[in-house]
Amino acid sequence: MKVKSKKEKGKNMSLIMKKSLGLMTAIFAFLLFTFYFVPVKAQEQPPKPSAPRSAKIPAVVEKKLTNGLTVATVERKNVPLVTIEILVKSGAKSEMMDKAGLANLTASMLTKGTKTRTASQIAEQIEFLGGSISAAAGWNNSVVQINVMSDKLDQAMAILSDVVLNPSFKQEELDLLKTQSLDGLTYNLKQPGFLANYVASKYSFGEHPAGGTPDSLNKITAADIANFKTENYTPYNSVLIFTGDINAVRANALAQKFFAKWKVPSTKSKILIGGSTVKPENKSESQLVKRFLVVDLPNSGQASVNYSKNIDKGRVGICSEPQKCDTNEIYFPASALNSVLGGGYSSRLNQEIRIKRGLSYGAGSNFGWRSGKTNFSTATQTKNESAAEVVELVLAEIEKLTNDSVSEAELNPRKLVLTGDFGRDLETTGGLADKVGELYGFYLSTKELNSFIPNVQSTSSAQIKAFAQNYLKGGNIIIVGDYSVFKADLAKRFPNMKIEVIKAEDLDLSTDNLQKAK
Amino acid sequence: MKKLNLFISMLALALALNLTAFGQAKITPMNIKQRTLPNGLRVVSLQDNSSPTVSIHVWYNVGSKDDPQGRSGFAHMFEHMMFKSTKNMKSEMFDRLTEDVGGYNNASTYDDFTNYYEVVPSNYLETLLWAEAERMVNLNVDEKTFSSERDVVKEEFRQRILANPYGMLFGQYLDKLSFTTHPYKRPGIGNLDELQAATVADAESFYKLFYRPDNAVLIVVGDFDEAQFNAWTDKYFGRIKQNKMAIPRVTAVEPDRTAEKRYNETAPNVPFPAVVITYLAPNSKNEDVPALEIAETILAGGESSRLYQELVYKQQIAQEAAFSADIRVDRGLLYFYAIASEGKTAEELEKSLLYELVRIQESPVTAKELAKAKNQLITRTLQEREQNDGKASAIERAIAYQGDANAVNTDIAKLQAVTIADVQRVMKKYFTDKNRVVISYQKGGDDESKK
Repeated sequence: MKVKSKKEKGKNMSLIMKKSLGLMTAIFAFLLFTFYFVPVKAQEQPPKPSAPRSAKIPAVVEKKLTNGLTVATVERKNVPLVTIEILVKSGAKSEMMDKAGLANLTASMLTKGTKTRTASQIAEQIEFLGGSISAAAGWNNSVVQINVMSDKLDQAMAILSDVVLNPSFKQEELDLLKTQSLDGLTYNLKQPGFLANYVASKYSFGEHPAGGTPDSLNKITAADIANFKTENYTPYNSVLIFTGDINAVRANALAQKFFAKWKVPSTKSKILIGGSTVKPENKSESQLVKRFLVVDLPNSGQASVNYSKNIDKGRVGICSEPQKCDTNEIYFPASALNSVLGGGYSSRLNQEIRIKRGLSYGAGSNFGWRSGKTNFSTATQTKNESAAEVVELVLAEIEKLTNDSVSEAELNPRKLVLTGDFGRDLETTGGLADKVGELYGFYLSTKELNSFIPNVQSTSSAQIKAFAQNYLKGGNIIIVGDYSVFKADLAKRFPNMKIEVIKAEDLDLSTDNLQKAK
Repeated sequence: MKKLNLFISMLALALALNLTAFGQAKITPMNIKQRTLPNGLRVVSLQDNSSPTVSIHVWYNVGSKDDPQGRSGFAHMFEHMMFKSTKNMKSEMFDRLTEDVGGYNNASTYDDFTNYYEVVPSNYLETLLWAEAERMVNLNVDEKTFSSERDVVKEEFRQRILANPYGMLFGQYLDKLSFTTHPYKRPGIGNLDELQAATVADAESFYKLFYRPDNAVLIVVGDFDEAQFNAWTDKYFGRIKQNKMAIPRVTAVEPDRTAEKRYNETAPNVPFPAVVITYLAPNSKNEDVPALEIAETILAGGESSRLYQELVYKQQIAQEAAFSADIRVDRGLLYFYAIASEGKTAEELEKSLLYELVRIQESPVTAKELAKAKNQLITRTLQEREQNDGKASAIERAIAYQGDANAVNTDIAKLQAVTIADVQRVMKKYFTDKNRVVISYQKGGDDESKK
């Protein structure tokens, strides 16, 4: 067996992060250093850093084809690799609850056959180039991405344009994909961490799970997929992104050659934004916890403990081209708060739950940004016996953010975590494509790549506290685990809280009470 | 439509012509520098000033196979202790020196070795060299920290092994049932009882025995000046005294298997049956390894691979079907595995996996399959080398598995040299009936795992 790494975080718990390098912001580094090396006795001191070097933010070159397709190129020449991506600004937000999973099935079906290539041929041809192709939809966007050596660009573009422009949506391929998706869901629903997020999508966020439910996946037809494709996959709703060993002249020529033929539909389609989403109410809550749910998963190896809060402001408001959106004022305070609370190893949740008490392998928090709303959540897994104790610890940390200001000494390093991760993301062609795609997906200017670091740096402790007071309270606790083990402790620690209990096997997200009709 | 077809056939032609050109993709060799300090520490460096960051790895020649008797999981648990206090550092100081300045750090315990690594802005290189030297020689282990960190490792066990439906299969049974003699039979994550039995005294003697300059390699890749780096290394690592104690090494040899063995295992909350079929592999320096890696890619690399196409796509009996060449310093494992689709059984999976084995043994792979596998492996190499840390990891693997950092520059040529006949030969050589262990796994009422 392979690696056991010291600090693996809960799934999807880092907001802006992957691995990569950074962009280190010198000023804070110096400040910090003096702060953290308060001498303990007459010890040897670590050597101080030398003068920092700064890294450059790569430039995005943008062009529009006559059919409305935006082409964005970021050249980065350290290795002969290119990431090519078609980003469609529609995702699970553009589907309804009863067809939850439609956006993701549609994206997945693109690589399962075109008018001239079978599914096997698509896989064979791209992998023969040494490359790979992926197609999936998240809440905000759908993305088809290829990573390939730069001397194989022409062949890769032929495959990319074929799957985007000419998918055949064959019934037998859809049947297989649905079976695979259902099996995957059955597997995931046995895992407490996944199950907690799945339930939160409806219970706390008024949405549906982006990957669908067993019921909704069963209902999706080939016609639904063809319609979703026609409505959403249009040149003016999409961006073609090239990153890596390619210059803009070559990229634009390839775009012209392979995507100029992408037809503009005769009637402009109506793209649904928000799907079945229930918009959160705009009021600040006095109570810390609004609702408390236990999903009972007998014999679960651990309990997952989550806090989730629906926030009525998004990364941007509801907006669409031609007018560009602006990043919402809460984005940077929320991002800095996340870094303090649950982004990265030394964040407060991980300090309190893992480092100080040994109650978990990792604890973290995340903001799931959308247009017009945001899903805030914390997540951790612990042994069933300590589930109730961990709920208390999580709530204490949230409350603390609403009561006390974060000191500069704590905040500055947490800002460097954000900017360092951001810089490292830009070091790989895939990371660059993701960052650029994220901005396009929100109708934001790519200039935000340059303003990210200064915006993080100028975020104040007062802004963070105000954000916490206005938006963090009034969320829900969800525990998924073996209820028989922590039932008594939970009742003892939360005597006045009404606790709803649902058996995992009775769960049904399509009903109001989340339970299958009896 | 016509036009498109024409284009497609031209593309097919282009692809066909490309067959010969393949395998020529250029991977720039790494210009690595190596030296050894008087105390035995080996130092490998690669200067690359293209980004203002540096990746630092300290590789120790100690892994899970060196877990003390009755202390399964100890090497990994000890790795966690290496982030705690030293004579001149407080606990979690490494996070202050890395995370707090925009970098990161981590460590991993493998069967054969343990690595500690960090990526930081390059102006912090000297600071981190000091800190790595510090924890090589000045670690403190106290009862309170030890016991709290043991709880973290137990949660790690619960998360990886118990909360995941297939955790017991891949994280416990695979190794336990595949080896009879070699310490690889003890899973690196350990078990709750043996983790609980570990003591501070165990940690102290383990540290003294294995954590020392002559059992380590310092690997640094990124933005630095060579002369300055050498001076810093001499200053901070050079002052560590040489340790004269002999380093205990695993000498047990896993014997050849003599007959097929079969096991049926269960765990709660397992949604679909699964099967794993293992064979003993040659050790990492064996000349057959490159051909086995090519075979791994042909069998399991991507959706066009044989196992995906047959079991997942055509027969639709598996939601996942793969093959892994789990090559280790001593004889490791070559294993097929599959997780069933709804309604399918472990027996069906086993039958189809073995059919694919016979197919690759009996008839040669095609020239196209071979070329594809090589292209996939080259792309993967390039992807790993986008960042300094990936390059450092590649150097580290060369040291760990081939005993030579320079192997990082010759591995690709060895893969390129693999022929169709080589693939067929190694598939016949290792995959014999006598060399087989079959583990079936499904949901079961007994809940032995949850003690």
